[in-house]
Amino acid sequence: MNNKRPTIGVFKYSCCAGCEFQLIYFQEHILETFKAAQIKYCRMLQSGGTDEGPFDVALIEGAITEQWQVDQLKKIRDVSKYVIPIGSCAVCGGVPAIKNTSQEYDVERRVYKDTSFIHSVKAHPIDQFVKVDGYVRGCPMGQRDLTELVISLLLDKRADFLQYCVCVECKLNNSICVLVAYGQPCMGPVTNAGCGALCPSHNRACYGCWGPMKDANARALAEQFGKMGLSREDIFRKFTEFGQPTDEWKPGQFKS
Amino acid sequence: METRAVQIMNYTKKIEVDYLARVEGEASITVELDKGPAIKLKIFEPPRFFEGFLVGRKFDEVGDIVSRICGICPVSHMTTAIQAIEQAMGIEVTRQTKVLRKILCLSQIVASHLIHLYMLAMPDYYGYAGIVDMQSRFSGEIARLIKMKEVMNELTGLIGGRALHPVTHMPGGFTAIPPKDSFISILRKLKQIKPLAKEVVKDVSRFGVPDFNSSSEYVALADETEYAINEGRIVSTKGLNIAVKDYRRTFRESHVSYAFAKKSNIVSRSCFMVGALARLNNKFEKLQEQTKALAKQVDFEVPNSNPFNNNLAQSLEVVDGIERCIKLIESNTFEDEDVRRRAGSGEGCSATEAPRGLLFHSYRINRKGVVEQADIVTPTSHNFLSIEKDLNELVAQNRDKSRDRIRLLCEKLVRAYDPCFSCSVH
Repeated sequence: MNNKRPTIGVFKYSCCAGCEFQLIYFQEHILETFKAAQIKYCRMLQSGGTDEGPFDVALIEGAITEQWQVDQLKKIRDVSKYVIPIGSCAVCGGVPAIKNTSQEYDVERRVYKDTSFIHSVKAHPIDQFVKVDGYVRGCPMGQRDLTELVISLLLDKRADFLQYCVCVECKLNNSICVLVAYGQPCMGPVTNAGCGALCPSHNRACYGCWGPMKDANARALAEQFGKMGLSREDIFRKFTEFGQPTDEWKPGQFKS
Repeated sequence: METRAVQIMNYTKKIEVDYLARVEGEASITVELDKGPAIKLKIFEPPRFFEGFLVGRKFDEVGDIVSRICGICPVSHMTTAIQAIEQAMGIEVTRQTKVLRKILCLSQIVASHLIHLYMLAMPDYYGYAGIVDMQSRFSGEIARLIKMKEVMNELTGLIGGRALHPVTHMPGGFTAIPPKDSFISILRKLKQIKPLAKEVVKDVSRFGVPDFNSSSEYVALADETEYAINEGRIVSTKGLNIAVKDYRRTFRESHVSYAFAKKSNIVSRSCFMVGALARLNNKFEKLQEQTKALAKQVDFEVPNSNPFNNNLAQSLEVVDGIERCIKLIESNTFEDEDVRRRAGSGEGCSATEAPRGLLFHSYRINRKGVVEQADIVTPTSHNFLSIEKDLNELVAQNRDKSRDRIRLLCEKLVRAYDPCFSCSVH
């Protein structure tokens, strides 16, 4: 792939479009990136273009909440060499998946009087439907992982994504542990690193916006929160803000 | 000539833009010329149900959650929600918190306008598909955009911890205050980009504006002492003047089958417009003197009823916003303080000026600090009716033009409104 400019397609499903913004305004690197890669399809950046591929890389942001999105996603998989979910919504459900904690009809009824034209289903990450070739995590997605991805594509090497928890970054920063020292309910121990331990370095507990770390011990952390005096509902909310559909955080998601 | 126009019309009775590019979110435009013209702005971005799933969440999560409504204006959603929650729970914040919020919101408005003007709107006026193709001809303009946006994002990130989806902003105040020397450094950078901001106004004034007038009412937040951003009364160019708490008595929402966004209107009146143009139409005299002088230089006068001029209005706000940030940082010192907490309950609401216009949030919080009801009305819902009305009038005035020309005019108009469809289906 290093002999020609890789072609990139960017697709958006249910989300805030913040990751696409991170991508487009990849500020100091933006001009270099456009020279090295060819953006073949990105609705927010340019008109025209085709969504039919083929793409070297398809970047997908947003959670899947409707059937047509699944149909399109499968087509994208067929015509793309690599499919990479970008940002928490596409990686682990993210904020859109909070709605999975209630009955779909209840949630819909609170917003629309007539729900007969709504075709929404429970929110799911991309890898529930198609095979993916890596994850660019973060809410919004992190620059470090994105840079790693672009460089890897250009060099035709395997991307090295961070696979440890936020706690490691706190230690690297020499930050005081907000959980142990201040008794704040911090999601750092079960959350994938990449943000540089942003919240703890700003005097607040991590709220898990980068989504679950692989093999996270959610049960132990939930029990710890319980000992610290959090109610079952509070613990449930912590583990469903950014990873409702994931297996990793399921052990923290009990209401009673 | 006339026969040719008729032929084109017979041949193309329907114009469709099936997935409008260079706007935030997913929408299409359908124009049916033989029906009067009948125009629909179909917002097909899937609904996201924030008001639905916020019920049952804790008050201190709400700011973090609602910032995910929008990738361009997360600060606005966050600030509006936090102010509403503070009102519901009876939390009073310090003057410092209010000043920091103002800087945070202003920095985001400037950054958002820059994105809109250069990346979303500008390609239309020079016949490009997007900014990537414009690099060789407009390298100076693009360098300007990147430089300015970098500084404004840095300012948002300095106060918020992160420019997109800030983390320090909580009900009751900020969890961390940046050190003094970082304010000194950002101040220097803001002063560096000040002259660039004036160039932005000139760039935008060269776009060339289609001749068009809209009869819309212009609605904005206003305050007696300053160019209101986060606090004030809701006023309009047609005499509306209400407190924010009376919002629900004055504004109504309805929904239509072809869009997941709701349409907002003022009770017993017509549609209205919010955004930069509406703000200038309502409070032009509250701008900094140098902004007003600049407006004169580019022949911008209020009242201005051409929605295409929303672009120029935004560029003036870029100049004004940077200057206000400089003044706010220079005239204040910022010190560490505790985030104020209080376990009150009740209902509260707040309205702020998001980059795209008036944004309203209201919440009912119970004694456990849990949300029982949430209501959010975004700028694009406020503008929805007005966009459709203007599209209708624009097409009616240009029926003799070619199909491609009508299509481009329609796209330009919708982009001039700077809609955010992701927000609108929150």
